[in-house]
Amino acid sequence: MLGDIATLVLQGTMISAVYALIAIGFTMIFGVGGTLNLAHGALIMSGAYVFGVLAQGAHPAVAFPITILVVALLSWGLYQILVRWVEENVVITFLATVIVAVAATEVILIRFGSSPLGMTLVSGAVNLEPYGINARPRIVQFVGFVISWVAIGLLWYYITKTDDGRSILAASMSERGAQLTGVDLHSVRSKTWLIAGALAGAAGIILGSTGGATPLMWLNPLALAFMIVVIGGIGSIKGSVVAAYVIGFLEQFTVTFVGHGFRGILSLVVLVVFLLFMPQGLYGREFAHD
Amino acid sequence: MATTFAGCLGGGGSDGLTIGHLAPMSNPLGIGSKRTVDMAVEELNDDGGFNGEQATVITKDTRTDPSEAQSVTEELIQQEDVDLLIGTFNSETTQSILDLTAEFDVPFMITGSAAPSLVTDYAGSDYDTYKNVFRIGPINSDFQAESIADYCAYLNDQHDWDRVAFLRDQAEWTEPFGEQIPGLLSERDLEIVYQDALSIEGTDFGPVMSDVNESDADFVLRFFAHIDGGDMLTRWHEGQYDFGIEGVHVSGMLPSYNELYDGAATYETTAQSGAAGVTSITERTQPFVEAYSSRYQDADEAPIRAPMYMGFNTYDGIHVFKEAIDSLETTDTRNNLDDFVGEMLDVDVTGVAGQLRFYGPDSDYPHDVREERRADGTITNYPVTQWVGPEESECVYPDEHRTADHQLPSWMQ
Amino acid sequence: MISTILLLGTVCSTVTGRLGRVAGTLRRQVLWPVGRTLERLLAPIDRVLDPVADGYNRSLGPYFGEMSGLQFGVIAVSVAGLLTAGYWAPMVGPLLGGGLLRTLALASIWAIFAMSWDIQSGYTGYISFGHSALSGAAGYTTALLIVHVDPTLSIWVTGSVSVLAALVVGLLIALPTLRLEGPYFSLITFVAVLLFYRLTTAFSSLGGIPGFGQPDVFTWDPMLRYYYMAIPMLLIALALTFMARSNLGMILIAIRENEPAVSAAGLNPTKFKLWSFMLSSVPMGIGGVLLVGFTGNVDPSTFVVVDNSIEMIAIAVIGGMSSILGPLGGAFLFEVLNHQVLHGYSTPVRYLFLWLIVLFVLVFARDGLFRAIWHRLGAVRGESE
Repeated sequence: MLGDIATLVLQGTMISAVYALIAIGFTMIFGVGGTLNLAHGALIMSGAYVFGVLAQGAHPAVAFPITILVVALLSWGLYQILVRWVEENVVITFLATVIVAVAATEVILIRFGSSPLGMTLVSGAVNLEPYGINARPRIVQFVGFVISWVAIGLLWYYITKTDDGRSILAASMSERGAQLTGVDLHSVRSKTWLIAGALAGAAGIILGSTGGATPLMWLNPLALAFMIVVIGGIGSIKGSVVAAYVIGFLEQFTVTFVGHGFRGILSLVVLVVFLLFMPQGLYGREFAHD
Repeated sequence: MATTFAGCLGGGGSDGLTIGHLAPMSNPLGIGSKRTVDMAVEELNDDGGFNGEQATVITKDTRTDPSEAQSVTEELIQQEDVDLLIGTFNSETTQSILDLTAEFDVPFMITGSAAPSLVTDYAGSDYDTYKNVFRIGPINSDFQAESIADYCAYLNDQHDWDRVAFLRDQAEWTEPFGEQIPGLLSERDLEIVYQDALSIEGTDFGPVMSDVNESDADFVLRFFAHIDGGDMLTRWHEGQYDFGIEGVHVSGMLPSYNELYDGAATYETTAQSGAAGVTSITERTQPFVEAYSSRYQDADEAPIRAPMYMGFNTYDGIHVFKEAIDSLETTDTRNNLDDFVGEMLDVDVTGVAGQLRFYGPDSDYPHDVREERRADGTITNYPVTQWVGPEESECVYPDEHRTADHQLPSWMQ
Repeated sequence: MISTILLLGTVCSTVTGRLGRVAGTLRRQVLWPVGRTLERLLAPIDRVLDPVADGYNRSLGPYFGEMSGLQFGVIAVSVAGLLTAGYWAPMVGPLLGGGLLRTLALASIWAIFAMSWDIQSGYTGYISFGHSALSGAAGYTTALLIVHVDPTLSIWVTGSVSVLAALVVGLLIALPTLRLEGPYFSLITFVAVLLFYRLTTAFSSLGGIPGFGQPDVFTWDPMLRYYYMAIPMLLIALALTFMARSNLGMILIAIRENEPAVSAAGLNPTKFKLWSFMLSSVPMGIGGVLLVGFTGNVDPSTFVVVDNSIEMIAIAVIGGMSSILGPLGGAFLFEVLNHQVLHGYSTPVRYLFLWLIVLFVLVFARDGLFRAIWHRLGAVRGESE
């Protein structure tokens, strides 16, 4: 029993770190522009594919930063080319980004077909059975955990300690207030999309190198990001991290005590409870602008 | 492009023989199938044709989407006036066009779906309506379950493995296995120590592996078509778990699969009709595989060395069709359906994936391909292959097709 | 690093700006003159048709919206075209790749879906990603009745029970969620359809992935089939247009534009949103029943999958949201492009092209193609109307 719990904690901790990485970019964009970026899943997917292609020729340590850069640029390009022209209308943005996501699927299908693309970031695993934990986690999962927390740490430092970053925080609290204090909203939003893209790229690399890349892999991360943001509270990075752990552990709990086929059901129930009784989430304010 | 063009010229009337091929063209299975149908028709056209007539092939993409499949099928039947439909992969796409083909009396050969319900719920319950439907292969899931159970018994002989962890897609297609495998295994003195159906919407294999490990199973018997087992295989290699991974894994049949996952599939097995072309199932298998690879080795898209299982079956289907047409002495199948069916039931052709004969109207599986059994009753036309290198696999079961013994993973040897 | 990228960005935005200017020139130098010529040509027709349109405006205009002469003419020609398609489509079809009647029948079903989506999402601005769950509920009810109750049940029985089922599922989704803010509502509908999909694929009692093959199609005769789909579609279009032009439609638009103002006026927005959802569920159910009769197979990827909901949205966007007739036109445009015009390309290429058109419409013609054309038609003789 104690071993079970240790296993649960270990596996929950590692999967939750990836979930946090998936959700933070989504919540940042939501917080700053009030934009629901439904193409976030597609950015994660592009991260997996870009890394998959690069890693065939280059060392993963080289492919990793290039992928992050490429996805960051894709995200930023999406903002510049499409979203900034429609962002004043929430509904149109919503629709435009979801269309981008389905179009991305078609591009992947044309270029790579429907079979999965495998890739390796690091190989190897650790056998924890001698320590009473029934698991042999892969090293890439530890790497995912580390990347997640390094990213969260960097983001926290950037947003709270640098002027640049503080303008993002200001804009997410009150756009009007930020404008009054001389923040250039357009450049703040561009930067947010750039950073969110980088985070999505990292998430994509980890998802790709744990489960392979497929043309429909954007759906689940998007649904997950959505749920995490609702539970954590719109626009709150802290909330998203906490909610990611809540969801990750709930899933692990279901898998351990109910069965693998029911993974995700309990988190859906929690989501509905939150929506009905606590729509502002754990750390958020209600979705209302100006 | 070429096929569209040919279609415009060859469509309509009884003046030409037109074969409609249906497959998901974004999937290597479909690409392999298209290549083999082109090969077979070209070879047979050069070799005197179908009852003396030249055939043209029109391939349509079903996109693994039932309504798309129905739309292209209707087009093939009504505008191109096809004399034969061949192909289809997912059972839902196949099912969606059965009524349509029956309505227009078009002979339909299924080469990619194995659900027994495609036969039992249709020709099995209303023979007159659905007598146009034949299944070329692989053998249906009921026989597959039996064959896999025999394979497990072989593993037990070989490695003394008798504790089984039974995993499957949480999807309808694995239900025949879910119902039959436990009984079949206990008949063979094998014990199921762990079983679960995994969500096809994404599964984290970490906890699954821990559970299997805890159950102290000797091997995992898994049936995955929707789930890609890549994550499981990587964890298996990296964690060096003390059990084998056996069964059916559709993604793992992709010839480039093991390379794709950096060798993580090495030592896993999957049953597949045609055995990936690694063995001589009949005397025609190897010449066919060589012809295929010399023709497509420089192609951009996989599969280039051998078609996947659907390609073997499609190739055989065209040969069966030629045999039936030659005996029928006309290519107008749609107006002579009863005679055509009669000829099909008389067919006994050596194909590239095995001997082809069909069950008659009164059997449990009318018009389904017959399983082949050796003298002791063991089914032999559902071979199992094992990955042994980045690009190499061997046939490990059954005895008559075996190219190598089943290997234990290197860390268990 | 970031500053380099930002610099690059500025360059890019300048380029986009320049492109905008090019587009402006294009509009001034090419599109306007073309438009003006067209207007000059069409104005006489408009004048000739005016008396007829006036007659309509006096009698039915208050219920279905007033039209100018030209608008009336276009509607009349379109309706006549749809009603006679069974006769002309087989002749025109071969020019467009053949099978036109099938495409038009399919377009009729999608028109029903897109219009139903529009009366709820387009009008209130509460975007539903889950409408395929409603048509799915109807389709699955029909199939379950045929499989488990009696295979010989008449279509009137299975059909009405199925529509009722769509309504019930609609209420189940709408009741708890319509109090929520827009994005949350969209999320719940999105999750609802994912959940429905999972249930149908996982359980054989719901048919699993192959679904149910037992229901029969209405007919395989292309012409008859087309009319089975097109006539209910036209009736639904009529009914929804009537609703949309009524006070209810006005209130729904007001909810989209300024919900607090609606509350301030003493109306309960939630109640009206619920009405719109129910109003949407009924034709979704009818569309679902027709889709069963069209395909003869009820399975998750024809009825439930979230892509279906996205396709409905795309159709409504192309045609023009919150106009009912816009989505109708959008459905025919979308399906004819998909199955006829782009016929020679592989499926992902076709869909990529279609999605790019949708994006183009979202950015450059937010009101949708058919709404834009409609307004131009109404104003060929200047702002005289």
